Amino acid sequence: MLEIKNIYKAFGNNEVLKGVSLKVEKGDVVVILGPSGSGKTTLLRSIDFLEKADAGEIIFDDIHAEFARISKKTISQIRKKTAFVFQNYNLFHNKTALQNVTEGLIIARKLPKEKAIEIGKRALDKVGLSERYDYYPSQLSGGQQQRVGIARAIAVNPDIILFDEPTSALDPELIGEVLGVMKELAKEGTTMIVVTHEMHFAQDVANRVVFMDGGRVVEEGTPDEMFSRPKEERTRQFLRRILPDFDYVI
Amino acid sequence: MRSFHPSYILEVLIQLLPFLWVTVAMVIGTVFFGGAVGILLAAAKVRKGRITRLLANIYIYITRCIPSVIMLFIVYYGLPELLLGFGIDINHVGKGFFVITTFSILFAANMAEVFRSAYEAVDKGQKEAAASIGMTSWQTFYRILLPQCTVVALPNFANALVNLMKEGSLAYTIGLIDIMGKGQLLIGMNHGSYALETYLALTILYWVLTFVVEKSFGVLEKHLSKGKKALSQA
Ligand SMILES: Nc1ncnc2c1ncn2[C@@H]1O[C@H](COP(=O)(O)OP(=O)(O)OP(=O)(O)O)[C@@H](O)[C@H]1O
Ligand SMILES: [Mg+2]
Repeated sequence: MLEIKNIYKAFGNNEVLKGVSLKVEKGDVVVILGPSGSGKTTLLRSIDFLEKADAGEIIFDDIHAEFARISKKTISQIRKKTAFVFQNYNLFHNKTALQNVTEGLIIARKLPKEKAIEIGKRALDKVGLSERYDYYPSQLSGGQQQRVGIARAIAVNPDIILFDEPTSALDPELIGEVLGVMKELAKEGTTMIVVTHEMHFAQDVANRVVFMDGGRVVEEGTPDEMFSRPKEERTRQFLRRILPDFDYVI
Repeated sequence: MRSFHPSYILEVLIQLLPFLWVTVAMVIGTVFFGGAVGILLAAAKVRKGRITRLLANIYIYITRCIPSVIMLFIVYYGLPELLLGFGIDINHVGKGFFVITTFSILFAANMAEVFRSAYEAVDKGQKEAAASIGMTSWQTFYRILLPQCTVVALPNFANALVNLMKEGSLAYTIGLIDIMGKGQLLIGMNHGSYALETYLALTILYWVLTFVVEKSFGVLEKHLSKGKKALSQA
């Protein structure tokens, strides 16, 4: 469904992505792991063209394009198929929860207002915010804001949702409610790429885990393969650091 | 020296009132033209084009260093000469034109800074979120960025407006008959007597104008910053 081939990206002369390839099939939940600075965010942002990649190809269903010379039209076509959930939510401050969700439907997709409101309410209900339609982001907790962020993403009915560390800005007691919503989406067959440090989510929900380091994919496999018998030493080092009781089969 | 006659203040006020519209029209005209140029300058400053940014910076730098009263004389005496060079004769154009031109030139430079800093105060993530749900950059601008930077700009805008109103009183130096110009005429007619009463009457008028501007902007700000207001309560 979505394939990224050999993507390169540098900030000045800091090469951040050095030929990353990634393939996502419909219904996949791909979790990307990796140490800080390994380029996970940059990869995700490049897929949504929030960052302009220097080279590489993107294949999305029947769209086939090169990052270096992609047209505005293609960008907008691909963006219509994707949604992004940000680490710090990025809700529109001047809009209520419901308006945040309906904005993309009414303005970008030109849906009639009543229809958009109906879809928007359903999306907010789904993330457990039926009591908060008319609240402004500043009146919501971090966990609630991020759930609005997820509602905004699912409302546009994307083929794939990109999550960049959706829980890392949250207080520990609020992480669960957001992960719960994501788990639910995964169960329903939503295709997603998730950058996270939540290992339990990776183990329980992902069907593929990708480990990145230094701008490259070091290793990828099923959660079982990655957590029980990783092949690469760098993967083991990372997992040992992040999971104190990590114990792999040699 | 003549004694002070408070009752004359009221008398002067009544004579000044018919000229209030000139002062108000000057401010509105300046806000309109100066504001429009200010938006263009601000856009030139935040966009990528290097040459337009340089030109905007030069404009702002130069105009900021010129006292309003000097600018007023330069425009009043210089602009007709300049335009005559292009075969355009504006010697019969009213004084209001020169006043609005002068203050627009100056106000635009102030506005450019007000708009630019407000625009830059809006979090970059707002733009990205809008892009990610498929909004075009124009839709993002008028639906998301503009409402947010309006709220940020409002207090500075109100300040600039009050300053403009006060600086505008200099227009009498080229003979514009606004409230200040009329006040000067009255003092002249009275051979300098009742000057204090006249200036006090003017003070009252400018005070009322300022009060109205500040109150209306206060209300507007409250109304526009719904999302923000909740933040301070939370
Ligand atoms: N806008 C930018 N300008 C310059 N350098 C950047 C920019 N964004 C990211 N980088 C650099 O790119 C590298 C990779 O950053 P990236 O955010 O993709 O890492 P990450 O894997 O998401 O890390 P983390 O786990 O800390 O979020 C870092 O060295 C970072 O400093
Ligand atoms: Mg990151």
